[in-house]
Amino acid sequence: MIALDRVTLEVPGRTLVRDIDATIEAGEFVCVLGPNGVGKTTLLRTISGIAAPASGEIAIDGTSLQAMSANERARHIAFVTSDDLLSESLRVADVVELGRFPHHQWWQWGATREDDEAVARALDAVHMREYAQRLFATLSSGERQRVWIAMGLAQSTPVLLLDEPTSHLDVRVAHEILALLRAIARDGTAVVSVLHDLNDAAAYADRLMLLGCERLLAFDVPDRVLQPALIESAYGIAVERIDTARGPRVFAATTAVS
Amino acid sequence: MLRLGALAVIALAVCALSLLPGGSSVSPLAVYAALLHPHAHDDITTIVWQLRLPRVAIAAVVGAALGLGGALLQGMLRNPLVDPYLTGVSAGAAAAIALAILAGVATPFLGVLGFAAGIVTAILVATLARRGSGLDAYRLILAGVSVSAFCSAIVALAIARANSPDAAQQILAWLAGSMAGRGWSDLAFALPYVVIGAGLSALAIPALNALRIGDVRAQTIGLNVARAQWIILAATSLFAAASVMLAGLVGFIGLIVPHVARRFTGSDARVMLPACALIGAAFCALADAIARSIVAPSELPIGVLLAFVGVPAFLYLYLHAERPA
Repeated sequence: MIALDRVTLEVPGRTLVRDIDATIEAGEFVCVLGPNGVGKTTLLRTISGIAAPASGEIAIDGTSLQAMSANERARHIAFVTSDDLLSESLRVADVVELGRFPHHQWWQWGATREDDEAVARALDAVHMREYAQRLFATLSSGERQRVWIAMGLAQSTPVLLLDEPTSHLDVRVAHEILALLRAIARDGTAVVSVLHDLNDAAAYADRLMLLGCERLLAFDVPDRVLQPALIESAYGIAVERIDTARGPRVFAATTAVS
Repeated sequence: MLRLGALAVIALAVCALSLLPGGSSVSPLAVYAALLHPHAHDDITTIVWQLRLPRVAIAAVVGAALGLGGALLQGMLRNPLVDPYLTGVSAGAAAAIALAILAGVATPFLGVLGFAAGIVTAILVATLARRGSGLDAYRLILAGVSVSAFCSAIVALAIARANSPDAAQQILAWLAGSMAGRGWSDLAFALPYVVIGAGLSALAIPALNALRIGDVRAQTIGLNVARAQWIILAATSLFAAASVMLAGLVGFIGLIVPHVARRFTGSDARVMLPACALIGAAFCALADAIARSIVAPSELPIGVLLAFVGVPAFLYLYLHAERPA
């Protein structure tokens, strides 16, 4: 599905991560973890095709990302970014309908029946059907996040990327969003999301991708990634691990690293 | 669509009414009768077909072009405070025309010269604003403002150094905007560029709609942002240059009309762009009709009239009217 072959990510003057080799399958929910500035968002931007890798190759279903046009990429990958820039008085349905953009030819200005159905399905999936005619600007943070996810779903892509979809959300809404992503993955979409909360990631994801020290430190099931030594090498803070009936949980040790 | 239809009817009605005022006293019935008989050989037909109709047509084209240009640039930059002149077209044209007047270039060539200088300046601004394969919004604003300021200094210098009061007067008259003395041949020169601009605008409609959610999100849904930016900037520059060639510097319309249109139609470019063209056309035709009748037989510069009447009206509308539901 998504294959990363020796992918190196850079920002001007700095290498973020070197030589990532990874494969993400359809129906998998993968969470990308790592400290601030390690390159999590850059990784998603690169997988989405918005940014190019410094070296290496990314392929979706065997086709190189670099060989695809912007439109073609957007029919394969939806990317729910963390920017919340929306200056217009758009309605929820207008926003979600923009997800159909890559399915239109340049001369197609209006929505087709297929578009309407995809928008309705996407709104249903995020439980926002009754909000379709509401102004986006009047929604809460959690509702907005649902609308952005619906826009990604309306793109009808096999891959859905999300950059910190639960930031600024209260605990209940954050769990609703994660459960939603879990359900989307179960329906066959490859879902890759950057998260900061290690325990949320462990609770919902199939596999965790841990970045740190300029490399991919681990890419495995939560039980094998949430190891105190690994977490400490990534974040530079000691953690304690508790195994619960619902999987491993980690907590910062009482004395933080200076 | 109903709203667009209503706007089209209003624009047509305003243009028809704008045929009535003029230097010669002609009854409305005679004016409209002359419209139906373009080949009649009488004074009224000449007045209507050679003076008033081209003037109203030019005003409508200028208004439509500036309205569209403003909407395109505001949409691309998601900045409600920019107008088509940010491209540097007007400032470049003004500087070239001011220098040409000082050099004694004959009046009929000034419009074409302004058009050419405007396009060259727009290319300079675009080059300065270029980043990667696309345009940087901040650089575009910075380059547009800086190049315009530089050109304005040339204009000020030209006025200060004008060797006759007539030359200075001519430069000032051009800066204030006017359609006096323009005719079918001017329109025939500028219209193809407006048509090309309109074609590019139609191409940019899906992009403008996508850009409403920001450049990055627009990229995620497959928009080639760089290509869209160049198309939009090219269309805006053509609109601005054609307007400047036809009417000098007519400010305000490119800034205000998109705001008014958005209040009527919302921000969907499929409806908003045609609304901008219609409102701009009606607005400019009406303003020109008032400009040439309010102190007849002389004329007020349309730019001055628009600023005096339009700005307070717009501010009232904007500050007091409810946002559309």
